[in-house]
Amino acid sequence: MRVIIDGKECEAGYGEYILDVARRNGIHIPTLCHSGALPGQGSCRLCIVEVAEAGKKKVVVSCLYPITGEIEVTTNSERIYRMRRNIVRLLAARAPSGEFIKKLREEYGIPEETRFKVDEKEKCILCGLCVRACEEIGLSAISTVNRGTTKKVAPPFEEPPEDCIGCASCAYVCPTGAIEVQEFEGKRVIWNRAFELLKCAGCGRYFITRQQYEYIKNKHGIDMKEPLCDRCRQKSTAEKLIHLL
Amino acid sequence: MIQEKRGEDLSQVKSILDRYPRERRFLLAILQDIQKTYNYLPREALNEVRDYLGIPLSSLYSMATFYKALSLKPKGTYVIKVCDGTACHIRGSMDLIDEIRKLLSVSPGEVTKDGRFSLETVNCVGSCALAPVMVINDKYYGNLKPAMVKEILAGYGGIRGDWDTK
Ligand code: SF4
Ligand code: FES
Repeated sequence: MRVIIDGKECEAGYGEYILDVARRNGIHIPTLCHSGALPGQGSCRLCIVEVAEAGKKKVVVSCLYPITGEIEVTTNSERIYRMRRNIVRLLAARAPSGEFIKKLREEYGIPEETRFKVDEKEKCILCGLCVRACEEIGLSAISTVNRGTTKKVAPPFEEPPEDCIGCASCAYVCPTGAIEVQEFEGKRVIWNRAFELLKCAGCGRYFITRQQYEYIKNKHGIDMKEPLCDRCRQKSTAEKLIHLL
Repeated sequence: MIQEKRGEDLSQVKSILDRYPRERRFLLAILQDIQKTYNYLPREALNEVRDYLGIPLSSLYSMATFYKALSLKPKGTYVIKVCDGTACHIRGSMDLIDEIRKLLSVSPGEVTKDGRFSLETVNCVGSCALAPVMVINDKYYGNLKPAMVKEILAGYGGIRGDWDTK
């Protein structure tokens, strides 16, 4: 299937999302809530583009819009720029403090917010990626709580979460760095809960929490006699293979 | 933060759970039943529901904090809901709230010290023609004037102790 993105001809599979095709062809569309591992969140709306199909133009969310016909896409028209600027402004009013949001604000020349009450320390845009990441891992230790203006992401009762294994996947997927993780003296603190970190038996680096290690062992039946970080595990597998040869 | 009565008798939670299959889609109905029985969602009851349905506690907490009809703190025996939708607002719901605040020393979202009344504002009870409206438990009072509030509350026993001094 042939689509045109910003004047460039691109090949697309049926049902492929515009964003993926654009990225493959080196065309940049800004995103916040898009994660390769957890696609289809579609909550930040930053990735809007204009689609022309059968003579009609419409604005769609590129990370969620499947290509089903020969369309022409514009990622940076006057109209898109204007709308995206508004979106950035609203996101920045909600969560002014994240690094990425700050950069976007500069890029789009967003003035000091005077119309809305702004919490200067807020980083979370409520995209929900962290909640999904935790759900994907099979724990759902955190969720969105409350609603409307008091909505936020938190563990049950806003206490250190019982179900958490300290894997920090939530912090890792968060596009704005809103989830705090601290590591010191062989401990990791996240969601106000402290976890003991284990050292890699190969290189001696702290890399995994005890709960995470147990969880992987039990739940996924992965045979790890001693904790090995990714790099050392690859090395040890390679060594075993060499022995076999 | 969240306070609740200690050692709530949870035997009724069991009989509520018995009425539902172990499926996630019944979560809201179960929580509504518990709310109705206990006037709030006791924390241990939430744990029971979690174990029964086999779902994470965070899903329960998320739902419990989402719906206004559910509450994690005990509500009063009588829940006063003053409608503050557009029609009621225009016709003076704030005056009703002020009157109740004066009579019961309670603000929206709070419970009286004796635990008998809680006060809430809601965004519409679908009786705009009767504005301003307030609902106590399941009974509706329409076309209200602040002066009528005292007598209505007296019908619920008012507030014990300092009622007369008000
Ligand atoms: S904490 Fe981060 S990932 Fe989670 S909802 Fe907020 S912005 Fe999204
Ligand atoms: S990246 Fe598409 S809506 Fe956020």
